[in-house]
Amino acid sequence: MLIRQVIKSFYILMPLAILMAFLWAPSAEILGDFSRIIYFHVPLAWVSVLAFLVSGVLSAAYLFDKKQRYPWLDEKAFNSASIGMAFALLAVITGSLWAKLTWGSFWNWDPRETSIVVILLIYIAYFSLRSALAGNDRRGVIGSSYLILAMMTLPFFVFLAPRIYDSLHPETIINADRTPHLDDRMRMTLLISIFAFTSLYAYILHLMNRALAVAKRLEEEYHAAD
Amino acid sequence: MTGMKKNCAAGGYGLVREILRNLSKDFSVEFRTRFALNVSIAFAVTATVSVSLTAGGVPFPSLVQSILLWMIIFFSAMNGLSHIFVREEDQATALFLRITMSADSIFISKFIYNQSFMMIVLAVVTPLFLFFLQVKVILISYFVLTILSGGLSIAAGATILAAMVAKAGGKGSLFSILSFPLLLPVLWVSIFATKNSLDGARPADYNSLVFLLAFSGFISAISFLLFRFVWIED
Amino acid sequence: MTGVRYRIEARGLTQRFGRNVIFKNLNFALETGSSFCITGANGSGKSTLLKILAGIQAPSDGSVTYADISRGALIKECSSCIGYTGPLVNPYDDLTALENIYFASGRAEKSRIDSLLKCFHLTGHEDKKIRHYSSGMKQRLRIILADLNDPPILILDEPGTNLDESGRRILRSYLDSVSVEKAVILATNDRDEEKLCGRGIRLG
Repeated sequence: MLIRQVIKSFYILMPLAILMAFLWAPSAEILGDFSRIIYFHVPLAWVSVLAFLVSGVLSAAYLFDKKQRYPWLDEKAFNSASIGMAFALLAVITGSLWAKLTWGSFWNWDPRETSIVVILLIYIAYFSLRSALAGNDRRGVIGSSYLILAMMTLPFFVFLAPRIYDSLHPETIINADRTPHLDDRMRMTLLISIFAFTSLYAYILHLMNRALAVAKRLEEEYHAAD
Repeated sequence: MTGMKKNCAAGGYGLVREILRNLSKDFSVEFRTRFALNVSIAFAVTATVSVSLTAGGVPFPSLVQSILLWMIIFFSAMNGLSHIFVREEDQATALFLRITMSADSIFISKFIYNQSFMMIVLAVVTPLFLFFLQVKVILISYFVLTILSGGLSIAAGATILAAMVAKAGGKGSLFSILSFPLLLPVLWVSIFATKNSLDGARPADYNSLVFLLAFSGFISAISFLLFRFVWIED
Repeated sequence: MTGVRYRIEARGLTQRFGRNVIFKNLNFALETGSSFCITGANGSGKSTLLKILAGIQAPSDGSVTYADISRGALIKECSSCIGYTGPLVNPYDDLTALENIYFASGRAEKSRIDSLLKCFHLTGHEDKKIRHYSSGMKQRLRIILADLNDPPILILDEPGTNLDESGRRILRSYLDSVSVEKAVILATNDRDEEKLCGRGIRLG
């Protein structure tokens, strides 16, 4: 299966990405070795967006899969959203370290920072909703609907609002994250690192989903016993 | 018998009649008790007066005024917008409603109700705020349009969330927690547009109003599609 | 109602909650002009079965079909061809009986509303708020609301709940008269109501 290939590739890609990031890629002219944080920050941010997208898509699939041919899609969406949350937090931490080094302060409400905070708030709200629905048989449907709503409104916040509002927030379009001055070795390293982190995400999601299946099986055995 | 056949194949006309019936029911029930409306208005008055009191008659800068205005509008609305769905669950009338009409009619009528509720809240909060905080509006029409379209967006986004919260047991603070991040773009745009109208900085184009209207339309469409999943239990 | 015949058919209905099987592989059909009783102990799934028949809930397995046999057509979405009520169908407390009736129907004729109110001894109470109704009056209103639109299929969950002896007598004679032209499905544990039914099943 494809997932196994992806997981296996993690064992090669991740060490490779780390070695390339620290040893092979040249340091940037102005920032020096600090710039190497890009090989971790960008992939983390990318994976968090990917994980949130996957959770939204799984939720939509859950709502349309009335006959439950694919089991526990809502819980798998929840797993993906929690991974996305963890990666987004790491992206915020690496990002603010980088901001301290380049702009001189950890936090300065750059549009990208604003948007990640809103994304975090949205998913914190989702986790509160899930916990409010514990034991309710509508949990899956309502949680999934919220994830879909969240996924649909994200583009408004991340892309549309700053663009319509370009007079206020011109930096979004020419963001510091998107500096085009990368040489080929840097670009290569970044690409490998993105693949490595994506395979890490697939690995964790796969593990969580297997753990979920085991927990469900145990629950059934327990109920069958009484 | 002919009457029954007509109803069995309820077309667009049937939908409109269902919406009107549900609206008249919701208005009668809500305005007989006025619970939600009273709480919202009371919150708005208390918040406005206490802000004005602590300011001690010194006018705030226009940005602070805009932020305060939208925070008061948002949280006043949050006190009432969920009631329309939470009430059905609290009074255990949801099943009666469910068997009486289609999910589409229910969503549309509750949506219209919430929009009217929002307009009432705006009609009370805004003059009160202008009066107590000595706000001078330079571009009046732009200001009014901003308030109206911002309110429209908040009510549009909050309606489906109200339905979710009602199914989750109507826990009060959950509604604000769910709404705030999703509606933050609306608040953000509204606040800056309001500030411009207070400063008299006439925008070359009405981008923020376009954004608010587009957001309302978009979120209403998504909510309409999601509502039947949230509402119908099977 | 004359000349129009409806048919409701259940095929292989099964309901599970987790691993618990509530009922399994139920098959039956009935047409307008007959009545059907579902009996069984508490928790045997009577209410669930009625909700499935009324199209409010989906079964774990199996299907329910509705057909207009006078026209020979299957009806896909038949929510308005079914009158359903049960202990969880609550009218609005802050509205009067008449307002609840208009909300539920909107097109029932005045004469029909009047005759139903009279039949269930609620004439004179129709402008009272439901908040001030006794539980027996509320139950009689529930049955009026279910039958208001003159649906060909009437599904009643425990219609005798909260009714006193005279209320039950009214209910029985009413059910007796409507079952001539409608398909009536009852969930009940009342012996006298069971006697009204031509056929029935026992769950659990």
